[in-house]
Amino acid sequence: MSTGSQHISWSIVFRIAWRNLWRNHRRSLIMLSAIALGLWGMIWMTALMRGMVDQMIDSSIKTLSGHIQIHAPGYLDDPSIEYLLPPLDESPALQSLLGSDDVVAWSQRIRVPAVIRSERDVFAVTLVGIDPAKEKGLSFIGDSVTEGDYLTSVDDKKLLVGKKLLERLETKLNRRVVLMSQDPENNIAERGFRIGGMFDTDLEATETGYVFAGLETVRKMLKMGPGVSEISLLSHDYRELDPLLEKTRAAIPDADVKTWIEQDPYMGSMLAVMDGFVLVWFAVIFLALSFGLVNTLLMAVFERTREIGLVQALGMKSTNILYMVLIESIIMLMIGLAAGNILSWLTILPLKDGIDVSSVAAGMELAGMSSTLLPAVKLYDVVLANLLVLVLGIAASLFPAWRASRKVPIEAITRVWQ
Amino acid sequence: MTNTTLTLAWRNIWRHPRRTLLTIAAMVFADVLLVFMLGLQLGQYQMMIDNTLGLFSGQMQVQAKDYLDEPQMYRSIPDADRLADEIRQQTGLDAVSARGYGFALASSEKRTIGVQVTGVDADYEQLVSTIPGLVETGRYLSANSANEAVIGSTLATNLKISVGDELTLMGSGRDGSIAATVLPVVGIFNSGNRDLDRQMMEMPIDTFRDVFAMENHAHSIIVAGKRSMAETYSNNIDNIIAQNDKLVLHDWEALLPGLKQAIQADFFSAWIMYALLIILVAFSMLNTMLMSVLERTHEFGILLALGVRHGKLGRIILTESFVLAFTGMLVGVLAGASLTYYFLINGISFPGMEEMGARFNIPPVITPEVSLRTVLPGPLAVLLATVAASVYPVWHIRKLRPIEALQAA
Amino acid sequence: MTIEITNAVKCRGVSKVFSQGELAVHALTDIDLDIAAGEFVCLSGSSGSGKTTLLNMIGGLDVATAGEITVAGKRLDKMPMSELADLRLQHIGFVFQAYNLIPVLSARENVEFVMQLQGIEADQRRVNAMEILQQVGLTGMEDRRPAELSGGQQQRVAVARAIVSKPALILADEPTANLDSENSDKLMTLMRELNSQIGTTFIISTHDEGVMAFAKRLIRLHDGRIVSDEAI
Repeated sequence: MSTGSQHISWSIVFRIAWRNLWRNHRRSLIMLSAIALGLWGMIWMTALMRGMVDQMIDSSIKTLSGHIQIHAPGYLDDPSIEYLLPPLDESPALQSLLGSDDVVAWSQRIRVPAVIRSERDVFAVTLVGIDPAKEKGLSFIGDSVTEGDYLTSVDDKKLLVGKKLLERLETKLNRRVVLMSQDPENNIAERGFRIGGMFDTDLEATETGYVFAGLETVRKMLKMGPGVSEISLLSHDYRELDPLLEKTRAAIPDADVKTWIEQDPYMGSMLAVMDGFVLVWFAVIFLALSFGLVNTLLMAVFERTREIGLVQALGMKSTNILYMVLIESIIMLMIGLAAGNILSWLTILPLKDGIDVSSVAAGMELAGMSSTLLPAVKLYDVVLANLLVLVLGIAASLFPAWRASRKVPIEAITRVWQ
Repeated sequence: MTNTTLTLAWRNIWRHPRRTLLTIAAMVFADVLLVFMLGLQLGQYQMMIDNTLGLFSGQMQVQAKDYLDEPQMYRSIPDADRLADEIRQQTGLDAVSARGYGFALASSEKRTIGVQVTGVDADYEQLVSTIPGLVETGRYLSANSANEAVIGSTLATNLKISVGDELTLMGSGRDGSIAATVLPVVGIFNSGNRDLDRQMMEMPIDTFRDVFAMENHAHSIIVAGKRSMAETYSNNIDNIIAQNDKLVLHDWEALLPGLKQAIQADFFSAWIMYALLIILVAFSMLNTMLMSVLERTHEFGILLALGVRHGKLGRIILTESFVLAFTGMLVGVLAGASLTYYFLINGISFPGMEEMGARFNIPPVITPEVSLRTVLPGPLAVLLATVAASVYPVWHIRKLRPIEALQAA
Repeated sequence: MTIEITNAVKCRGVSKVFSQGELAVHALTDIDLDIAAGEFVCLSGSSGSGKTTLLNMIGGLDVATAGEITVAGKRLDKMPMSELADLRLQHIGFVFQAYNLIPVLSARENVEFVMQLQGIEADQRRVNAMEILQQVGLTGMEDRRPAELSGGQQQRVAVARAIVSKPALILADEPTANLDSENSDKLMTLMRELNSQIGTTFIISTHDEGVMAFAKRLIRLHDGRIVSDEAI
């Protein structure tokens, strides 16, 4: 005969837990569906929200800000021709940094406020002189010309105008417009341009806010010396910019070097708010689930009072009984989570290319967001959601499980006759 | 439904106090959340709308027919001041003001920038816009014929000028002629709105008319009354301008479609989240209800044996679940309303709001709304979901046979 | 292997009072009892006589209000819950009136259950279980769940489970109450046989005359006291 202590027999505990789950398949199915649905909700909502933020950030970055921008000090407060960076060949350190592996793409620009005039209307815009080849990998303009032609070189004499602006100016492709800005002596510098191409982005503000011309063309128009308004560069990860930022600042110490977050604090705060919001949403969903979970388990335990009394009479120890109930709960959680993950995967995959929300689209564009929602599933969110449900689910089950193990056998057994 | 039925239902619910309390807690949790969030949302929208409208665009505007789509200078309102007067008299509202809009190049000593010029009625503008009150340095415009201007703070910075400096303006007038003048800047305003601060210049309307060859015309008559009176005003104004088919009245939704759409989009996405929450709570309810029905099989067997009919049995169960759900709703509404009311008194702000506020014209402290339309919909939906959840258990026992039921534990 | 304990059960001055608020129910008063190893004892009496209560005391399922109970040489009144559980696991087997079996396990698994708790190897468990099921006459039914067995068959599985781990003591509380007379006789016959073959002590509570006929020793209880104690 074996000595006093008892083995925790995992196989029997597991077997009983598993079979008990399916004994009351209706109840189990309902609970499983709830868990799956809850997880699906968590994953979906965060995917949509992250997608939106990602898109906003992406368009903000693509709308010329890039990951890191270099300006002459004072330019950001007063973006005029007065504040220029020295030409690149005067900064060999910067040149080599721009050529290194850390930098995925970069370009120089001349960027000044200007006024555009057609036969019918006048408008304030920002005139951007670009290097078309370099600009292509960096910002949106390289890919968004839908009619006419993109610029060919820094000497290209044509102008790229946004679709909405063309409408406002009541003009079209190949027509002439006049651009006016200020030269270094505060005289009006004026030049006629033929509209060579029209660009179309999701954001109206971009279409009406910027016009693009060749870098050297703009330089000549403004009667500028050498130098540029800004250098913008793209690195590998928009969230991990600190090392590159330091290197850049070291390479050109007299300039004003900023990341995209520093330039647009709104975006930075959006990220933080979103992270917080995700957690709150998870907690809310989980709490909604947990009431049902605890209630279901309590009732399951209540139902099995006799059985629990029986196994206690047979000599099963309290801890084993606790495990029995707990494992039942864990199995249910894991199946529910698995179903939820599969459901999420099945419903997000076909929508990978985005959901068109045309019915409310106008507002989105005007509010600065794209009209196609791209869900962005982050592994972090998925893992977090699963872990949360599992861990909190187990915590919620502890109370019913503990109650089960606490029952004195005699009460449990005599319940039969009550 | 008799008194005894209700009493019975009530007592039956409390046979298992812990379970009932958990169920009610689930409902209250969802209710509080829904009431609070809805209150917060609607409160926020109100503030957004009020602030945005109050800043510059007003509640509604009378404009020339096609001006909104194609704002050409020649699309103007003739004899605008008289029309504005008439509107004031007919509606009894003083907050009616005429404006002219134009575009010009403004040159300071060091800079030339394109600006949006607005000619405003110095007597009435402060009733339709908050900009006059937002002048930081210097003062606002004094009289309608004065030769002066106020500009936005960012514009002042970009032009590198301060109060007292002069600006040279050059634009085109209504008749196509060159509009040019020199004005001193008497005040600089800070509205908090990026676009206004960066591009806006205001000058007295008669000066504007002079410079831009407007004769007695204006481009828009702004009406800024209480939103609750909007329909009255618009009916009034429609009557006034009915004879002139060249004039149109636009409400703010037409003037700022982006705002309305942005609000709708936000509302839409929020309701998806609410719906998910309600469904989850309903699932919890479903399980609880199903279990309690199954548990009482023996008891139902006795009732059936005594002659109670299945339909009646179903009604008993539904009554119980309704009483439970209703209790939950009452407590939920109370708790939710109280919590939201607390924040109504004290205001609420959360991190990240400052920057978002600047973008969307929301002050950093929001007051949520507590009204029937925020306090009832959520809890009502939860109530319905809960009662709906109990339909399945009732359906489930419709074929219960007394003898089987009695043999159940 | 036979059990080498002389005194399986010893009670001295055992009393049990149930209090429900104001009411006090004296279920047992001053019970003195000695049962030797290998005995086949029936506790009889009408409902309320205290026989079930006494059985529960002996089995360590309930705690006496006063007095000492010694089972297999160990004092029960001083034992903590976990030790009592061990005692039940190793030394005592139970057969209840109903609900003896774990519904989700098959007959064989039910029989193996206690052995698993005791840590016996899977192969050995299987062998023991099949052997004992054969002894109680249930060969071929081992994979059926309780719901698929008749009342009599269920009780026999319960007995099989009780005896397979060779406890010192088997306590049966009105084991035939839900059986017809034929099955009742069969069950009692089985228990008598096991008692003879293996030497386990049996204490059976009942109010059925037919069951009492099987007893070797009959202890009558009335209103919580022993009124007679005879060898048959």
